[in-house]
Amino acid sequence: MPKSEPPTRLELLQGTLEVLILRTLLREAKHGHAIAKHIQRTSEDLLQVETGSLYPALHRLEAKGWIAASWELSDKGKRARYYRLTPRGRKQLVAEQSKWEAFSRAMGLILRPADQEGQ
Amino acid sequence: MISFFRKLWWLTQRRAREDELCEELQFHLEEEAEERTEEGLSKEEALRSARFELGNPAIVEENTRAVWGWILLEQLIQDLRYALRTMLRNRVFTALALLSLALGIGANTAIYSFMDAILLRSLPVSDPESLVVLNWHSKDPRGPRPNHVMHSMDGSDWVEGDGLSSGIFPFGVFELLRENNAVFSNLFAYYHSDKRNLTIKGEAEIAAGEYVSGEYFTGLAVPPAAGRLIIADDDRAGAPPVVVISAGLADRRFSGAANAVGQSVLIDNIVFTVIGVTPPEFFGVDPAESPDFYLPMHANLLLDRTVPWAVKPETYLERNHYWIQMMGRLRPGVTRAQAQAALAPAFQQWVAATASNPRELESLPALRVEEGAGGLGTLRRRYSKPLYLLLVMVGLILAIACANIANLLLSRAAARQREIAVRLSIGADRLRVLRQLLTESVCLAFLGGVLGVVLAFWGVNFLTVLLANGHEGFTLHAGLNWHVLIATFVLSVFCGAVFGLAPALQSTRAEVMSALKGGRAAERGWQSKLAFRRLSLSHVLVVSQIVISLLMVVAAGLFVRTLSHLQSIQLGFNRENVLLFELNARQAGHHDPEILAFYEELRKQFASIPGIRSATLSHASLLGAGRGVEILVSGKSAAPETRILHTGPRFFSTMQIPMLVGREIDERDTPDSTGVVVANERFVKVHFGTEDPLGRHITRGGPHPREMEIIGVASDAHYGRLKDATRPVLYIPYNQDQQRVQQMVYALRTTGDPLNYVPTVREIVHRADSRIPLVDIRTQAAEIDRTMNQEIVFARLCTGFAMLALVIAGIGLYGTTAYGVARRTAEIGIRMALGAQRGVVMRMILGQVLLFAALGIAIGLPAALGASRLVQSFLFGVKTDDPLTLGSAVGILFGAVMLAGYVPARRASRIDPIHALRED
Repeated sequence: MPKSEPPTRLELLQGTLEVLILRTLLREAKHGHAIAKHIQRTSEDLLQVETGSLYPALHRLEAKGWIAASWELSDKGKRARYYRLTPRGRKQLVAEQSKWEAFSRAMGLILRPADQEGQ
Repeated sequence: MISFFRKLWWLTQRRAREDELCEELQFHLEEEAEERTEEGLSKEEALRSARFELGNPAIVEENTRAVWGWILLEQLIQDLRYALRTMLRNRVFTALALLSLALGIGANTAIYSFMDAILLRSLPVSDPESLVVLNWHSKDPRGPRPNHVMHSMDGSDWVEGDGLSSGIFPFGVFELLRENNAVFSNLFAYYHSDKRNLTIKGEAEIAAGEYVSGEYFTGLAVPPAAGRLIIADDDRAGAPPVVVISAGLADRRFSGAANAVGQSVLIDNIVFTVIGVTPPEFFGVDPAESPDFYLPMHANLLLDRTVPWAVKPETYLERNHYWIQMMGRLRPGVTRAQAQAALAPAFQQWVAATASNPRELESLPALRVEEGAGGLGTLRRRYSKPLYLLLVMVGLILAIACANIANLLLSRAAARQREIAVRLSIGADRLRVLRQLLTESVCLAFLGGVLGVVLAFWGVNFLTVLLANGHEGFTLHAGLNWHVLIATFVLSVFCGAVFGLAPALQSTRAEVMSALKGGRAAERGWQSKLAFRRLSLSHVLVVSQIVISLLMVVAAGLFVRTLSHLQSIQLGFNRENVLLFELNARQAGHHDPEILAFYEELRKQFASIPGIRSATLSHASLLGAGRGVEILVSGKSAAPETRILHTGPRFFSTMQIPMLVGREIDERDTPDSTGVVVANERFVKVHFGTEDPLGRHITRGGPHPREMEIIGVASDAHYGRLKDATRPVLYIPYNQDQQRVQQMVYALRTTGDPLNYVPTVREIVHRADSRIPLVDIRTQAAEIDRTMNQEIVFARLCTGFAMLALVIAGIGLYGTTAYGVARRTAEIGIRMALGAQRGVVMRMILGQVLLFAALGIAIGLPAALGASRLVQSFLFGVKTDDPLTLGSAVGILFGAVMLAGYVPARRASRIDPIHALRED
């Protein structure tokens, strides 16, 4: 097998998948499989998206009106369901993003004070 | 809001959406597989690993669908549709289950409707919760009256715990407590008046009245339907005579409340003015009564001057005469306990001052402030015990019905084991399967409940007829109301949950693999593991059904025997072909001494009707009588249980009571002739032994003693209530006694149906005095049946219940046995192939059924012996361990069990070994 196993896979935190999907759709519309692959690649294979939770999440976001879906032809000419960000989704992404940045900064401050003391 | 409509829209687009989702997931799979092929895997391997990565597509779909809309609602609809389909597919099962549940729930609803009407419903007045009833309780009820401060009591009392309770008080107590307005915002008094002659526009009828104090209507906060209600100024000596009538009377006699106000009516020949009408739903404070009119309390000075127990202005001052009843409305924030704590000492002090000797001080009545929301407890005291007993019985029936359903479901759960195993193995959520099975049973229970309400509706009407059984003015009208409907609904859903849960839990516990292996062999495989537990559960259910049925059959037997004992009581007179009716000439305005001649003249006219063999009259009918006065024999008091009956001429020949010696009272005995008396056999035996009683003199005591000569001895005839023992009885001519003559009961010995003579009798009375209405017209036989009303109701109902229980248990036993035979088809086939005879197979099946019966009876008999002690007070002439009852109950039960077991046993014996073995 040419593919090497990623070192460790991270469990997705509760509620993070939705932000990741929104962020993935920021530039262009994608179908479900592409979204999963994009998240996997961009996170350097650290995050693995379970199909079992991807589709419920997509439909949940659609139900909330943050993304919209339409049937289009894929690069290879097959019918696929493409999701794109709605204006409300964009707003939501901005809000979520700043929330996550604040959260990760806070986590960092707490988890890394020893380094600072050492400096 | 938007999401609501979107969900609604999605719900309508479900089918298309599901297809889309399927396509979407399919696309995902293909993409994934393609990617893996590019990574170098073979096509099959790529597809396989993609599938593996995706997981169970059904679950992904399920989870995705969950975000679309109301998944719970959707699943519920699914479950319901599935449940209805299953029910339709198993018509016999559904019919059996619904029938037994409907019968159980129907009977419970009917009885509960009555409990609700009698025990739970509040008075139809505003804020009934703040009303309280005042009662007293005294420790020592049994001693002679001089031991009490209650020297005379006019009203009802009842034994409670170790003492006597009552709600009647001297008027002085009302005045005392009325002052205490820290507790009550209002205190009012009332008492029940006797039946009155009410003449409206020249037409007389007998009506029930209530005396009420001026605070009564304001205290109850009842608004008038027309005019005004009684106020304090109406309730004083010398006030203008006014009356408030009920809406029912106003409708009947004045065609509407508005027309009644201002009209004059005659009550016992005294003119009263109608000042107002009560609202239609109002029936006073006692659900057992429904007065036609309300009088100011002090009107009794006008109306009750002539009766022997005349009310005089002094009566209101009498401190040892107990006669008025009271209710109060508590001030906001005052509790019953606080009220009692505040009032009891004041009452205590007041009654202590009325004691005339130290013994009276020892057993003073103590005040009790009791709940008044439901009005007076008359009906509750009368019917609560029988109703609770009935409720226990129908509760048992429901238990049998539930056991039945549980058993049927249990059998079916085993049959559906494979279906459930398949569903679990393809990824169905266990909770989801449980929910679906529960939906099925609750659905079943709910339908049973609906059917039960229909049955109950019919049952309530039936019970009303049964309980009223000839009582005029039966005030109890139970209807199916919201309480009852809710109670039934809860009951049926609860049943569904209870009997649905056990089999549902068991079904989903199945070991998937062994159940899936298929074929009946496999089914038997896992069954042999579970067999012990499963079979024992269903066996326990069957045996307990038999136990309960036995209890019901024994109860029915005891009540039927009680009834037949009552019916075979030696009455001592001929009950057939006697017409009884009552009239009261005094209330219509007749006076002494003319009234005596009037009554006698009427008797003569009745006697001359063609077809009437003889006619007589007495102060009460033999079964309704209960009068005792002081009698002296040779200067000593006669036996205290001695009773008297004031009769007219020809009493003994009319009632066909044999005279043993001497003559009966006849036309020769006038007010002016020598005082005479006829004694019964028992009286003679007690007081004269073997001496000749004829010509002996006895004295009626009291303020005006009178000497009487014994002119005859009659054989013992039943006097008073049917269950009472024979007492010494004296028959005294009504026209020779000092007691003022009131109402009289005429008895006519007829040829043919007594009721045929009613029109002629009415005509004669109307011609004699049109102001006198005829009351309580009945045959002697009907009067006797009426006194056995409760026993008749119990015997009929219990027989019905016992049959119901037997039918339901029979259905259960049949179902279980039939199912057992179906399961053992292969085994029986092998047995028969090996040479077992049909008879042996049949005995094998019946043997098991009989084993259940024997076990049930072994448990049931001691239980029945124990439980029948609870109904002892309802029995007469039969002991709780009556061998005849127990024996026939056991016999009936065995018969029913054999019948239920015979059909499946016969089917088992007809099994064709070839077919049976080929099936596997």
